[in-house]
Amino acid sequence: MFRVVASKILGASVAVFGASLVAFVFMRVFPGNPARLILGPLASEQAIKEQERAMGLDQPLWVQYWRYIKGVFSGNWGFAYSAGDSVKHEVIARLPASAELGLYAFLFAFVLAVLLALVATYRRRPVVDGVIRAVSFFGLGTPPFWFGLIALLLFSQVWHVFPGPDGRLGPNTLPPPTYTHFYTIDALIAGQWATLGDAFMHILLPALTLGLAPFAYLVRLLRANLLDVSRENFIVVVRSKGLGRWSAFQHHALPNAFLPTLTAGGLLLAQLLAGSVLVEKVFNWPGIGALVVDSILRQDYAVVQTFVLLSAIAYVVVNALVDVLYGVIDPRVRIPMAR
Amino acid sequence: MEVPDGFAGELGGDVSSHPRRRVSGMLGFVARDPALLVAGATLTLLVLLALFGPLAWPNDPLGIDVGASLEAPSWAHPMGTDSVGRDVFARFLEGARISLAVGSLVVVVGALIGGFAGVVAGATGGWVDGLVMRVMDAILAFPPLILAMAVSVGLGTGLKTAGLGIMLTTIPYYARLLRSEVLRIRALPFIEAAHALGARRMRIMLRHIVPHVVSTLLIQAAAVFGYAILTLAALGFVGLGARVPTPEWGAMITDGLQYFLTGQWWIGVFPGIGVLLAVTAANVIADRARDILDPRGRYAHV
Repeated sequence: MFRVVASKILGASVAVFGASLVAFVFMRVFPGNPARLILGPLASEQAIKEQERAMGLDQPLWVQYWRYIKGVFSGNWGFAYSAGDSVKHEVIARLPASAELGLYAFLFAFVLAVLLALVATYRRRPVVDGVIRAVSFFGLGTPPFWFGLIALLLFSQVWHVFPGPDGRLGPNTLPPPTYTHFYTIDALIAGQWATLGDAFMHILLPALTLGLAPFAYLVRLLRANLLDVSRENFIVVVRSKGLGRWSAFQHHALPNAFLPTLTAGGLLLAQLLAGSVLVEKVFNWPGIGALVVDSILRQDYAVVQTFVLLSAIAYVVVNALVDVLYGVIDPRVRIPMAR
Repeated sequence: MEVPDGFAGELGGDVSSHPRRRVSGMLGFVARDPALLVAGATLTLLVLLALFGPLAWPNDPLGIDVGASLEAPSWAHPMGTDSVGRDVFARFLEGARISLAVGSLVVVVGALIGGFAGVVAGATGGWVDGLVMRVMDAILAFPPLILAMAVSVGLGTGLKTAGLGIMLTTIPYYARLLRSEVLRIRALPFIEAAHALGARRMRIMLRHIVPHVVSTLLIQAAAVFGYAILTLAALGFVGLGARVPTPEWGAMITDGLQYFLTGQWWIGVFPGIGVLLAVTAANVIADRARDILDPRGRYAHV
């Protein structure tokens, strides 16, 4: 058991390390001079040289990488020139907003996808099935930022059901006391019901927008897998032996069909937690996505590197959790490999 | 003979194991599948609009007419006019040109590079395989949109660099898929037979392996087409890709951003519908192509 865990941790570290190295090299191979971007087009050659020295850009790549790695471990993640603050501050201030949004989007996508895939396959209603398939194609083909705009137009401008794009809370609501940095949960803990309602109304539309494509993907995947499994011989066997439809579905088809959905769900959750570049922009969500866009446009290495590193960590952590869940669902995974 | 089929009943559609009726020819196939028919017709219509629309429609996509700004859709301007009086329909047609052209280029070049990398990695093995696949892993380490943006910014904003960035993000999907296909085919008896007959490695690769992976490559390419159009719109939306007056669909949505909330919805809504139609049609076609050409479903999603 220890060896399994150790090899998993080692593999995860290698993946994160690789991602950091790749991000570092990629961002520096591109043409374009960040020192010039900071100082502006009128700066003299002398000033550029000095700025480069101050940023350590005159050092060889491997020295720069070594400094960067040392910084990551000592909590110095560099300076975000586009935001005028240290990367650490910016990330810590913005990550909870992105994570909260991503979590809601994922919950919506995953729960609804599983429910609808079950309904579509268990109840033999071709109309329901057709509608679900059409919706899933729509969800995969819609530009999410455009869908967000349409949703705002209809639900905020025309029908006044939801508030406009003013971030996590309305202009007249104070943030709740900080426990988890998730406004909905913090407000719940503090018992501030008005704040809770406001935060909830503000997160609903962006979460639906962000979750639409993952929902469409998951519902298609699970539906197709369920239908495939339902035609396997072992299902025919248990049905022929007199097992009811629901039992065959629940105990035999579902566990077998669910594993790919779990894997895909894990990947999507990792992506969503790291923030959405486009949807955050539409809803003025103060998350990490908007920061990353600005940083890319200004070639602000430190922020992009940190973001790629965070994405890699989220990916690795969520994948590890999915591995554990696999063991719960599939007994073959629990048995250690013979050899 | 009636076989109990568990619980799924007659639902079938896009599921690979669904037994298909024998059909005579390609057109018969299309005619019996309404979704495929609609998707094919939509994509054909968009292609025709992109090819001939700008020639037939008299209004200039870049022609500014401040006197006629922010007009609602009418017969003269079926999609209204934008903030400086440009005809949104003319811009929509030009945008279709850009999106479809960039999408096609991304697909063709990406499929060639990625397919080549995958076939070489799978057929050669050893350190070449390791090197190619590590490079692919490196590309996959980035969130795709971030990588496409970074490439586009790093090489100078424009349609070409945006297309290049998107293309780069698609290469690993082809390479990984084709590598696994080649590995599978290489283990089959007929390859062994070819070896035994004295065929050279190059000949086996070109005559016996490559023809077997072409359909897989095409299926993946169809899926990538939709992804490319969607990502191009996303890049345009954040101000990368097409330069300012160029009517790229994503950039047009950005143009409409501030007018969504003041009632001039048409500026941003129509280009989004264009993206939606093109991408959904491509996805449906890719999906059906997968069922027809690859009944075992070994494909990768982008």
